[in-house]
Amino acid sequence: MSPIDPRLQEALDGERDPGDLPADLREAHARLIAATQMLKATPPVSVASRVMAEIRQNPGRVQSDGPGRRLIRWLGRPRAFTVRLRPVWTLALAAGLATVLLLPWSNGGPTPGVAQGIASFVGHFPGARSVEVVGSFNDWSRGTLHLNDDNGDGIWHAKAVLPAGQHEYMFVVDGERWVPDPLAGRYVDDGFGAGQQNSLLIVRPVSSQP
Amino acid sequence: MVNDGAPADADVVAQVLGGDGEAFGILIRRYEPGLLRFATRMLGNPDAAADAVAESLVRAYRHLAQCRDPGRLRSWLYRITGNRCRSHLARRHTNDISLSDAPPLADGSDTWAVLERSEQVALVERALAALPAEKREAFVLKHVEGMSYEEMATVTGARIPTLKMRVHRAREALLAALEEVVR
Repeated sequence: MSPIDPRLQEALDGERDPGDLPADLREAHARLIAATQMLKATPPVSVASRVMAEIRQNPGRVQSDGPGRRLIRWLGRPRAFTVRLRPVWTLALAAGLATVLLLPWSNGGPTPGVAQGIASFVGHFPGARSVEVVGSFNDWSRGTLHLNDDNGDGIWHAKAVLPAGQHEYMFVVDGERWVPDPLAGRYVDDGFGAGQQNSLLIVRPVSSQP
Repeated sequence: MVNDGAPADADVVAQVLGGDGEAFGILIRRYEPGLLRFATRMLGNPDAAADAVAESLVRAYRHLAQCRDPGRLRSWLYRITGNRCRSHLARRHTNDISLSDAPPLADGSDTWAVLERSEQVALVERALAALPAEKREAFVLKHVEGMSYEEMATVTGARIPTLKMRVHRAREALLAALEEVVR
């Protein structure tokens, strides 16, 4: 195999008119184009009915389980008391947030469960109209876990009871911009290629807390 | 990709996420032919390709909320299918397609014309199958699926100069294989 003339590559990339090529390159161009045409036949099969049957048989949470129902289910579970504080860019901010986040849960709040923890989500999104969290724990469904910025300082926060273990998540800003948590510290490939990453959160069960 | 009068991908995605699972059928009909063609060229085996596409579409449905830009749904679906094909090839412990896996020959009605055409198709398919998977993928996305290098970058995660190099090398290999037969 030897390199082919750059002019032929340019013509095949649509950067040069094939008519301007010398005769031998025009012939090679025509041969390659003819070859690619042969590969364009669409296989005479369909998987549509198979896929739709699978979806109907096991519709999953895209269809069957509304966000309200999932939220109610989470809240109904026994709760652990694990706090993950972010951001960490200032101790003062962390301390303030800890106060905000811990108080409601420590005043006669739900009983911590054995295999669950409370995750705190904090992000700095000045000017955002809305921020929410989607992740593996809510099947990446929007509308279930909104962050709040009550004092309008651009720091959004929320907490949720989650099963202990590892969860992937992203922030969704203004309903359309998916943003990894810059302070997550750990990330994992989103599984769809292209090198995009989800943030990683590890929730410790209450039994492991000091 | 939106046909005249057909709902935009983003609208259909919103419909599905809103609870209308049947609307996903619109997206299947829209993209299934290209995905099957892509997977068949990648795997060389129509049955394996059908499995890969079916699994990819079910996975896409399950994770539809994770599609960050429904307006570029096509790229997202090709990305999932490409990943599925790579997994399939990895399980085979080789990136090459065996000749016995080559897709069936083209149909037709005129015997001699069909035979000649079939031989040509088989030749091109063999040459394609002999390419390393990443070059095969780049060539198919570029020349069979007609994607721009920008969209290919979205699908594969590779950089555009890398993709151009893969396509160029694939062309060289294919042209060499075709010329070998002419001699």
